[in-house]
Amino acid sequence: MPADMSAVGRGGNPDGPWDHPGAGVAQAVVTTSGHGGPSRKLSLTHVSKTYGSGVAAVRAVDDVTIEVEVGEFICVVGPSGCGKTTVLRMIADLEPLTEGEITIAHHDPTRALTTVIFQEDSILPWMSVRKNVSFGPRMRHVPKSGYRDLVEELIAKVGLTKFADALPHQLSGGMKQRVSIARAFANDPEILLMDEPFAALDEQNRLILQEELLRIWGETKKTVVFITHSIDEAVFLSDRVVVMSARPGRIMADIKVPFDRPRTLHELRVDPAFGALTGRIWRLLRDEVRKAEA
Amino acid sequence: MATQSANRPASRLEVRVPPKNQRRPAHIDRWLAFASPLIAILLWEGTVRLGIMDDRFFPEPSAIASTAKDLVQSGELQRQVGVTMARVGVGFAMGAVPGVMLGVAMGLSRHMEAILRPLVSALYPIPKIAVLPLIFLIFGFGEMSKYLAVATSVFFVVLINSAGGVAQIPVIYREVGSSFHLSRLQFVRTIALPGALPAIFVGLQVGLGVALIAIIATEFVGAQSGVGFMIWQSWQVFRIKVMFVGLATIAILGFLSQTLLEVVRSWAIPWSPSNRRR
Repeated sequence: MPADMSAVGRGGNPDGPWDHPGAGVAQAVVTTSGHGGPSRKLSLTHVSKTYGSGVAAVRAVDDVTIEVEVGEFICVVGPSGCGKTTVLRMIADLEPLTEGEITIAHHDPTRALTTVIFQEDSILPWMSVRKNVSFGPRMRHVPKSGYRDLVEELIAKVGLTKFADALPHQLSGGMKQRVSIARAFANDPEILLMDEPFAALDEQNRLILQEELLRIWGETKKTVVFITHSIDEAVFLSDRVVVMSARPGRIMADIKVPFDRPRTLHELRVDPAFGALTGRIWRLLRDEVRKAEA
Repeated sequence: MATQSANRPASRLEVRVPPKNQRRPAHIDRWLAFASPLIAILLWEGTVRLGIMDDRFFPEPSAIASTAKDLVQSGELQRQVGVTMARVGVGFAMGAVPGVMLGVAMGLSRHMEAILRPLVSALYPIPKIAVLPLIFLIFGFGEMSKYLAVATSVFFVVLINSAGGVAQIPVIYREVGSSFHLSRLQFVRTIALPGALPAIFVGLQVGLGVALIAIIATEFVGAQSGVGFMIWQSWQVFRIKVMFVGLATIAILGFLSQTLLEVVRSWAIPWSPSNRRR
């Protein structure tokens, strides 16, 4: 653990993203090092989010407290509209919080703190696959020798070597999302934030990409916060599943996933413990989904 | 004679048309696109020769062509075209460059939008031709007044399209910028500019058309050279054929400059949806 570990905290007020397209509006409220112990990577403490004000106010996220250790892979599941994406966007500094505090330990200030993999097609159409994947390090002014090998390796890992010079419009939806994953890993952030990255893909592509993600993650052991509405996906991928209620999103359960890694989905599916765990999460969620639909 | 040469390729085609027609209908479209102006010119030629159209107002195309040939041989036409195109080129650059820059700034920043929007909304609808006397008053009849007449016409069209182009960049690409913690300059260079480029080119294409209109009008009243001057002068001395040569020249210049811009566009925006269809 480097001695200069610092913690970044956020709270405070938004400004228009239009006038500050790149700049974060983070407000450092915690500067002490070693907040919550040396292995604590990320903590959300009594975080709430309210959209609008007065009578029109909508509480999207209510008093969420989550702690994530270094190298942990956590999934947040919940019914549609429960505010799970909002939680991720607040961690990513894409949205300000209304109440509470988010503290992130920035172990190595030369590295990116967070990078988001979005649900929708987010790779830049005017850049080749290679330029998209190398986007992060290029923007952080890393010398080319510092990222070239990693970029080629990641392109190979997601099976796009033949398409390295192709433009995104020549790729299928699944291939675009592979580029997006490779781009995030190439940026080598301390925390990877994934917002339902496979939700728009078909079943087969989703299974393949989940396994690819686990393989790449297994080699890097990054801290990951993964948002999903799929219980199977959450249990298959993560070390811990955080279950959220219908709006306003609250934490209903925080469940450890006991399965050994490396995992494969078809092995897990025949394990009775897998069925028991997904069943338990489903029973928690069932009433919430009804509530959200009502 | 002319009719025969138009028929011959068509009858040759007929032999293999049925299978080819089914496979490649685009082939027929290309012929139609080529044939329609040709037929219009032939109709024009024929009706003038038959005395249906008055050749004092509409000299037959063959006579206009021979006038054009004389003007080319004397070097007169090239000289006028050169003068006009230099004015269009300089004026277009003078209007388009600040138009793109301010337009992008306006699309990026609410402050810039607040400052510029009312000015643009008020000044844009003024026909730039109406400002010509003022330009002549301030800058005299030198080349600068021609550049400015073109530049003011081009500026607003390019500015409005550029601002709209930046504003229409999907939110997701802005968030990618935030997620990768881009600086303002990096955001402009890697996301705002390329994202707005298709709209910027629409502005440039419209601007180029407007530039030709502006320069011809300016040369009508305030120049002793250029294609516009050539047309105006031929009206005053009733050299109608020269006038038609001037009109045809503008049409060809418009077509060529748009084609050139289209080539630049498909080179600059290889990801553009309209390039993909080809």
